[in-house]
Amino acid sequence: MSAEEMGKVTNRTRLVFAISSVVFLAVLAISPFKDFRREWKQYKRSYLRYAQGRPDTKKLVADYRPDIDQIWLPAMNNVVDRCTTCHQGITQASLADPSVIQPFRAHPPIPHNVRDWGCTVCHRGQGPATEVAEAHESTLAWEQPILPTRFIQASCGTCHHADLPQTPQLTRGRQLLAELNCQGCHRLPGIERPAMLGPDLTNVGTKLTREWIYKWLKEPRTTLDKDGNVTVNGYETEEEPRMPKFRLSETELRGLSAYLSVQKAKAFTPYKIDARVVAAWSKNPELISQGELRFRQMFCSTCHSLAVTRAGETKLIGGDIGPELTKVGSKVKPEWLVNWLRDPQGYLPHTTMPRYGWSDEDLYKVTQYIASKLTDSDLLTTVPQLGQPTEEEIKLGDRLFLEKGCASCHSIDGLNPQKDFGPDLSAIGGKNASELEFGASKIPHSLVAYIQAKLQDPVSVNAAARMPQYNWNQADLDAITTALLSLKGAPATSALQNLVVPRKEVGFHPTGAFAEVYERYKCYTCHKFNGFGGDLAPDLTYEGSRAQRQWIVDFLKNPQTLRPTLILRMPQLNMSDKDAATLADYMSMVLQHPAANPAAVDSKQFTPAVAALGKQLYEVKFQCQSCHTIGGTGGYVGPNLNNAGGWLTAAWIEAWLKNPQALVPSTIEPRRNFTDAEVNALTAYLMTLRQSIKPQKTASAAPPRASAQGAGR
Amino acid sequence: MKLRIFTSALILMTILGFSGCRKRAEAPKADPLLSAYDSEPDWSDATRVLPLSYQQAQGKRVFYQQCVWCHADSTPAGPSNRSNLTPVPPLLNDGATLNAESDEFMQNIITLGGSALGKSAMMPPYGRVLSAEEIGSVIAFARAIAQPPYKPPARPASANIAK
Repeated sequence: MSAEEMGKVTNRTRLVFAISSVVFLAVLAISPFKDFRREWKQYKRSYLRYAQGRPDTKKLVADYRPDIDQIWLPAMNNVVDRCTTCHQGITQASLADPSVIQPFRAHPPIPHNVRDWGCTVCHRGQGPATEVAEAHESTLAWEQPILPTRFIQASCGTCHHADLPQTPQLTRGRQLLAELNCQGCHRLPGIERPAMLGPDLTNVGTKLTREWIYKWLKEPRTTLDKDGNVTVNGYETEEEPRMPKFRLSETELRGLSAYLSVQKAKAFTPYKIDARVVAAWSKNPELISQGELRFRQMFCSTCHSLAVTRAGETKLIGGDIGPELTKVGSKVKPEWLVNWLRDPQGYLPHTTMPRYGWSDEDLYKVTQYIASKLTDSDLLTTVPQLGQPTEEEIKLGDRLFLEKGCASCHSIDGLNPQKDFGPDLSAIGGKNASELEFGASKIPHSLVAYIQAKLQDPVSVNAAARMPQYNWNQADLDAITTALLSLKGAPATSALQNLVVPRKEVGFHPTGAFAEVYERYKCYTCHKFNGFGGDLAPDLTYEGSRAQRQWIVDFLKNPQTLRPTLILRMPQLNMSDKDAATLADYMSMVLQHPAANPAAVDSKQFTPAVAALGKQLYEVKFQCQSCHTIGGTGGYVGPNLNNAGGWLTAAWIEAWLKNPQALVPSTIEPRRNFTDAEVNALTAYLMTLRQSIKPQKTASAAPPRASAQGAGR
Repeated sequence: MKLRIFTSALILMTILGFSGCRKRAEAPKADPLLSAYDSEPDWSDATRVLPLSYQQAQGKRVFYQQCVWCHADSTPAGPSNRSNLTPVPPLLNDGATLNAESDEFMQNIITLGGSALGKSAMMPPYGRVLSAEEIGSVIAFARAIAQPPYKPPARPASANIAK
C-alpha cells in the first residue's frame, strides 16, 4: 500500500469512522448511565421520593446528601460502615412504624448511638460495601454475613458479659451452657467450671449396683424426648438434663459399669439405727405412712421432685436442686441411704444437701418409706445378667472413662476432672464458614447453620464426633446458638477491649462459728449472700438490716412464708437454739445495708397519733392494700404485713419507703415521692402491726400444715 | 470482514453493558412472624400469635416484670391480684377500654399514678422506677395485643411530634 493510498479517504472509511464514533459514544454513555443506576444511588433517590409522600418531608430530608454516607470509627476496630447510605431513616423517629418499607425504617431505640458505634459491630456484614448483596451476604472475599435478627442478642453478649434484662434469649442460652455442663469439655469464657460438674465417683460402688449403672449409662434418667421435652423416668419436667446420652455399645456399657461398680475407695461402715426404735416401729402398720409424712414435713420436695398422678396426668412435682427421687428406692443400696441422710458430706464433700438433725426414729421411718414406696420393680428388667465384673471389663472401663470424656465431668479418687476435652469455643462466634468442617452434610455453609446442625445431631457434620446427643426445642436451640455466637474471642483492638465489661467474680467465704453452721445447713444452696448462692429463696445479703434478730431466730426454728403467692419451701432443719442464735447474731452484725441506719430512727416519734395518720395514708392516700395484705384483706403482690412490727426494723422500713430499689434493685415496688413526714407516719403505723408466732417446741410435735400436704410447690 | 467482526463485537459489548443494569428481583413477602423480633399469644384467642417489634418486645419485658400482677388474669406467680382491687383494673389487652385513651394519657397515668389523673390511687406512679422510653414501650406493647385491635388516630401521633 503506497503512502498516497494510505492518506486517501474513501467512502468506506468514512462509513466505518461514523459507525464506530456512534458506537463509542454509546459505550461512553453507558458509563454515566451505569453510575446513575448504581444500587445505592437508586436508594438515595427513592428515599427522596418516599419522603416527599409523607407529611414531615422537611424533617426527613433536612440532612440529605446525595453521596455515600459513611461512619468511620478509627478507634473502634477501624469501623467503616456505609450502611446509612441506603438506611437513611434510621434516626428518624417518625419512620419507626413497621409499615415503613426497608431500607428506610428507623432503628428501634437502643442504648447505643449509631454514630458512636456504627452498624457492623452488632449486625456484622461488610461495612464498606455499597451493594446490597455484598453488604449483607457471605461472598468469596467476605465471610461474615449479616447476623440474622433472631440472634441479634449475641452481639450484646460480645461486650456485655453480665446479664442484661433486655436480652432474655442470650441469658437463657448462657444458662443452658452452664446448666448442661458444656464447660465440662469445652473452654467457654465467662462460664466458671463449678466444683461439681457430675458427681464424684470415688465411692460410687458403695452406693449403686452394676445393673443400675448399666441402665443409667444406656438411658440416662434425665433426657429430652424428640419433641424437646425434658423427661425424668419418662415424666415431663422443667429440669435441665445434666447427664447427656452417649452413644455406647454393649461392650462399652459392660466395661464402664464393671469399672464403676468396683470404685470403693473409702471403707464403708453402715450406721446402726437404735435397735429399740426398729423394734418399736418395724411391725407398726403406720410405719410407711408416718415415713411419708416426715418426708413431706422435712420439705424434701423443696429440692427433690416426685412423680405424682392427679386426674390421670402424671407430673413431676417438687424442686430441681437435688435429683428426682421417684424411683430412688430401686437405685441406691439401703445401707448407703441411711449413711447419706445422716451425713451427706461424708460421701460427697461438695454436695449442696444440708445436714439435717435427724432423730433415729425419723431416719428409720423415712428410709423405710423411700425403700418401699419410691421404687419401680420394672426398672432393671431390660438389663441383662451382668454377673461379677471381670478383669478385662474393668480394664476396658478404666480406658473408656478417659476416652469417652467421662473424666471431663466426674472425678475418681481425688483426680481432678480433665479440662478442654472438646474444642475451645471461646471464639466460635467469629469463625468463618471456611474454617468449619461440614462433612457430608447438605446444610448451607454458614456459621449459624453449622452451630445448629452440630447441636442437633453432632455426627451429622462429623461422623467421629464424641459429643453426646441432645434434643432441643427450637427456642432453646436458638438461645444456645445466640450464646455461642456471642463468643467472638478477644477484640482485636484495645478500644473495644476497654469497653468490655468484665464478669464480676463473686464469692462469699465467711469464717468462724457462722461459717460452720452456714456450711452444715448449706444456706447458700437456696439463698444468695453477696451475689453468691442459689436463686430459690430470698437474697439474704442485707437480712440483718431488714429483720429483727428475734424474728430471725423464730423463723429459723419455725419457718413460714410471708408472700401470699408463695408456698413454704424452707425446710425444718431441726436447728438447735445455739445454731439459730449463731446465724441470727452474724446476720444482725454483718449482713447490713448502709442505707438502713438504726441510729437515725427516733422511735419516740412513733406516737399513737402519728401511727393513726400512717394508717390513713396507708389505706386512703396511697392505698397500699392494693398489693399488701393486712389481716386477711389486700393484695397478693407484696409480702403480707400482718407482723411487720415484729419482723422488720424501723430503719429498714424508712429506707425502703424512701427508695426500695436502693435496697433491693430488682424489687417491683415502685419508688414513691413520700415526704419525710409521710415516711415517718407510715413507719410508725407498720411498727404497730404485730402477730405473735409461737415457736414449735419440738419438730415431731409439728402439726401438719396445709402447704406441707401438697408435696412442695 | 474484520470490520464486521469489530463492529459486532462493539455492539455486543454495548448490549452486555446495558444488561448489567437489570433490576434486582423483589423478595417474596414473608410471614410477619418470621421477621418479628418477638411474639405474644393473643390473650383472647389461644390459636393466634401476634408478632412484636423490638420496642413492643421491650414493653412486654417491662409488663411481665411490673404490671402483670394486676393487669392480667394469670401471672408468673400463679394467682392474679386483679380480683382484689376495686375498681377492677383493665386487662392490658382490653381494647374496648384502652383504645379510646391517647398515648399521652397512658404515658401520664403510668408516670404519675392514678390519683394524679383523678383515677383510683390503687394505680401507683412508676415515673421514678421506669424511664419514659420504657413506659412508651409498655404502651406500644398494649397497642400490639389490644383486642379489638388498636387503630392509631387518623393523624399519626409521630407526625405531630415532627412538627
